[in-house]
This record gives sequence, C-alpha cells and structure tokens, in this order.
Amino acid sequence: MTRSLPIRIGAYTLATVVSIFFVFPYLWMLSASFKDTDSILTAPLQLIPETFNFDAYRDIAVMSGIPLSTYIWNSVWITFASTVFTLLTTGFGAYAIYRAPNLPGFGLLRVGFLLVIMYPYMLLVLPVYLVMFQLGLLGTMTGIILFLSVGPIQFFLFEQFFRSIPSEVIEAAQMDKASEAKILLRIVAPMARPVVMTVALITILLNWAQWFPILVISRSTDTYTLPVALLSLNSELGVNFQGIMALATLTTLPVVVIYLMTQKYVIEGMISGAVKG
Amino acid sequence: MLAQFKLGKSTVFYLFAAPFALLTIVMGLWPIALSIQTSFTDSYTALSPDPVYVGLSNYIKIFNDPVFLKSAWLTLRYTLIAVLLNLTIALFYAMFLSSSVLSRGAWLFKLCCFLPVVTPDVAGFIVWKWMYSSDFGAINAMLNAIGLPDFGGVSSVQTATIAILIAEMWYHVGFYIVIFLANFAMLDKSLDEAAMMDNAGFWRKFYKVTLPQLRPAITINMIYALIQFLKTFTVVVVITKGGPGTTTNFISYYAYRQFDQAQYGTATAMATVLFAVIMVLASGLYWYSQRRDWR
Repeated sequence: MTRSLPIRIGAYTLATVVSIFFVFPYLWMLSASFKDTDSILTAPLQLIPETFNFDAYRDIAVMSGIPLSTYIWNSVWITFASTVFTLLTTGFGAYAIYRAPNLPGFGLLRVGFLLVIMYPYMLLVLPVYLVMFQLGLLGTMTGIILFLSVGPIQFFLFEQFFRSIPSEVIEAAQMDKASEAKILLRIVAPMARPVVMTVALITILLNWAQWFPILVISRSTDTYTLPVALLSLNSELGVNFQGIMALATLTTLPVVVIYLMTQKYVIEGMISGAVKG
Repeated sequence: MLAQFKLGKSTVFYLFAAPFALLTIVMGLWPIALSIQTSFTDSYTALSPDPVYVGLSNYIKIFNDPVFLKSAWLTLRYTLIAVLLNLTIALFYAMFLSSSVLSRGAWLFKLCCFLPVVTPDVAGFIVWKWMYSSDFGAINAMLNAIGLPDFGGVSSVQTATIAILIAEMWYHVGFYIVIFLANFAMLDKSLDEAAMMDNAGFWRKFYKVTLPQLRPAITINMIYALIQFLKTFTVVVVITKGGPGTTTNFISYYAYRQFDQAQYGTATAMATVLFAVIMVLASGLYWYSQRRDWR
C-alpha cells in the first residue's frame, strides 16, 4: 500500500520522537558519567562531552571499603549460579509434571508455584529474611542464589515447550522400550536446545537486575551486587552524581549488549512466557 | 551398579520434580505461610520462639490506621490511572507500529521501546530521578529550551505522582506494546478489507473489527499491568521514598517501612491484604476471559 509522502514523514517523525523518549536516558547517563561538574550544570542537554573525564570511574573503584571488582564478581557469580540452578530445577520440574501430570502431588505443586509467583514479590522477600535466618543462610551467597532460583516465568516457558512436543514422538520411544533416561537425553534434550537458550537469556537478564532480595538477605556489603551497590551509593549523603551515573552505566551496559545481540529470542521468550503464565 | 538398580517410572519423575518442589516450598510457600502466620501475632513477640497470637487485631489495626487507608486509596488510584494510561498508549502505539505507514524500520522502533524492560530497574529509575533534578536535570533544561515553565518533578506534591507515572511508563510500557504487536500480527486481514469495502470509518472499524480480535492481548496485559502497578515499589524506594509527605506512600512501600521498624504483625497483615486483592483480581480477570472464549 502506498501512502503520500507527508504522511510517511509524519509517521517516521512520530516514531523517532517516541523512540528517543525510550533511549534518551541511556545516552544522558553515559554522557553524564564522563562530564565534569561545570559542564553538567551549564549544559545538561549536551550529549557529547567536550572533554572525556574518567574521574567518576576512578571514584567508584572502591565503595564502602569494597573494591568495584568484588561487586562485579558478585553480580556475575550470583547471576550465573542462579541461572544454572533455575534452568535445572524448573526444566526438570516442568518435564516431570508434563510427563506424569497425574502423579499424586504434582497438581498441588503446580498450584503452589502459581501462588508463589502471584504473591507480591517484595513482600515475599520480607518473610524470606525469617526463613534465611532459620536456615542459617542469612548473609550468604548460597541463600541469595537459592532465593533467586525461584523464577517467575521460566517454568511456564518450559511447560509450554514440552506440551508442543508431538505425543507420538515419546510414545514411539516407549514402544521401543527406551528407558526414561534415554528418552530425555536422546529425544527431548536435543529438541529443547532453543528453549533452554531462551530461558537462560531471560533468566540472566532478570537476575542481573535483582536487588531487593539481595539487600534483604545480605548482612554486609560483601555480598552486594552492582544494582545494590548503586542503590546504596545513591542514598549516601554528599552525592557524587557522576559516580552514580558511572556505576549505573556499568550496571546497564552488560544487559544492553546482551539484549542487542539476542533481541529476537528475548522478546519472543518474554511474550510466550507471559502468554502462558 | 546404579544401572542395575531399576527405578520405577513414578520414582524417576518424583526425583526430577524434587528440587523444583523443594525450592518452591522452602523459598515460596514457607515464607508465605510464615507471613500469614505472623500477621496473626503480636509484633513484639513475632520473632520469639513462642509468639503471642492476637487473632485479627493486626487487621483491625491497619483498617483503623488513617495512613494505611490513605495508602490503599493512593495505590488503587495510581494503579487505575497507570493501567489505563499504559494500555491505551501501548495499544495505539502498537497499532501505529504495525500499520503499513511504517513499512520499514518498525523493528528498530520496537527494539527501542523494549530496551527499558530488560534494564535493571534500579539503574533506570536512578537516571530518571536525576533527570527530574532541578540542578542537573535534563527535563527542566529541555522544557526551558522550548519556552515552557519548570516541571516540579518529584519534589512537589502536585507533580510527584505524575513524575513516577512517567518513569514507570518508560520502564513497563514496552512490554505491553510488544504483547499487542504479537496480537496485531495475528489479526484477520480479510475482516479489515471487508470493513474497508463497507466504508466503515476509523473508529467504527477499530471498535467493531480490531478491538474484539485483540481480546487475548488485552486480557494478558490487563492482568500483568494490574499486578505490576498494585505492587509498585522500586520506583518509590529509588525516587520518592513515599514522599513528598505521603503522596507516593503506596502499600508495598508502607508495608516494607513497617517491617523495617519491626512492626512485623501489621506489615504482614498489609502484605496478606494486598495478596488477597491481587489474587481476586487476577483470577477474576482470568476466569472472565476464559468464560468469554468458550462462547
């Protein structure tokens, strides 16, 4: 369909303006992290600084007596470990419930999980403090990783995938007297590779962004991740604006890069997770 | 050796599900049960080995607490406005992005609007907080540049709610847009053409042809947005801390503050009330959408 040129120009202008609304905060954050105080006050809208100033990044090299590298390492390790753990627990859990939905207890488990993800997350975190206390996991990485492994949409993504496998495929294998291990490893696992990739990506993005459970379970800054460090830097007195923007940039950059590289999987995965849940 | 040991079929599946079940119980159901239990105990004894049970008194207390009642009203009002605003904008923007006017480049616009959804919320909201700042901020500088007066941002009672509505929209709306886009891609084109033949106007066509077909996306977005905005929390912690005054003191934040001040009984009672509201709304909407689908 062809439309007149003025309409097309108008449409592209509108879409560009809306897109700038979404992207502007990133550019502003990045540029502020390189600016000196003078140019922030005199030209807050200038996105390309006249001189690139790396002081802010030097300022945040040590925060609350902890080197930046520790926060980065905590973020990477917590994200990685909880992602692997989420994949294993929800993947096998969804598979078991899909293959044997009528086993006693499985229906209840599914309902229980639904209740958990409906509970207001930040209000779930508060009693988790009590649970961690009773388990002796308060202030430990293990406690944080275990709690982050209760993912909201991962189970549904797996469940939806398993239901899409034609039942003939598994029935045929059962006719051949294949063992359950064989069915899982030889038949289901190869088919599941794309869904595992998608779930892994989404989980990495979600867990990288987590802050509240980490703040609540932590007993000291030793177990803080980048977002938690950012929040505590932001609430300190004697504000270091450029430092905050530098740390926000470091917190955001990895997910932006991952998202831009894998956007199709991320968006489609999020949609199908939402549609099912 | 293990291979000789033949496991029954159901044992295998129980083993597969065991870690998932354990995690769901220990990190989910147990804390929820603990929270509900605590809501019936006296705050000062809540954490002691034998807490004193006080029946419904925490619930009676919060419903007589003017701050809680105001907080509940603010939360409901904010949720209603945010849901309508986000879903309306998302619907029309998705319709615009999927129209034939933007034949090329629509994917880039979609990419931009979804970017905040995957961004760590703390980082995004901190940037917004500073963009609203009257000294460093970009927003007033921008308004002044085009000759408009200053925007009060988060420090003024009149504008604080609007300021966080905008910041939250920036963060969430991309998700709703993308859900609508997926639905638009599945629309029946022949109905569109039929409406064109009948010379139906834009609004008539929208109302009679497009909207009914968008019911799946509207339902999903409605459920998600309701839950999302009823729980509004991070933006308040990062940007307003409930203020100025109690303008943005939403239930989640108020409950968290109560918990922080060791008011465990009332804090968990608030959590339980919010949970009940979310459950009723979400399952009501879900039931409603299912029932409509069967007909």
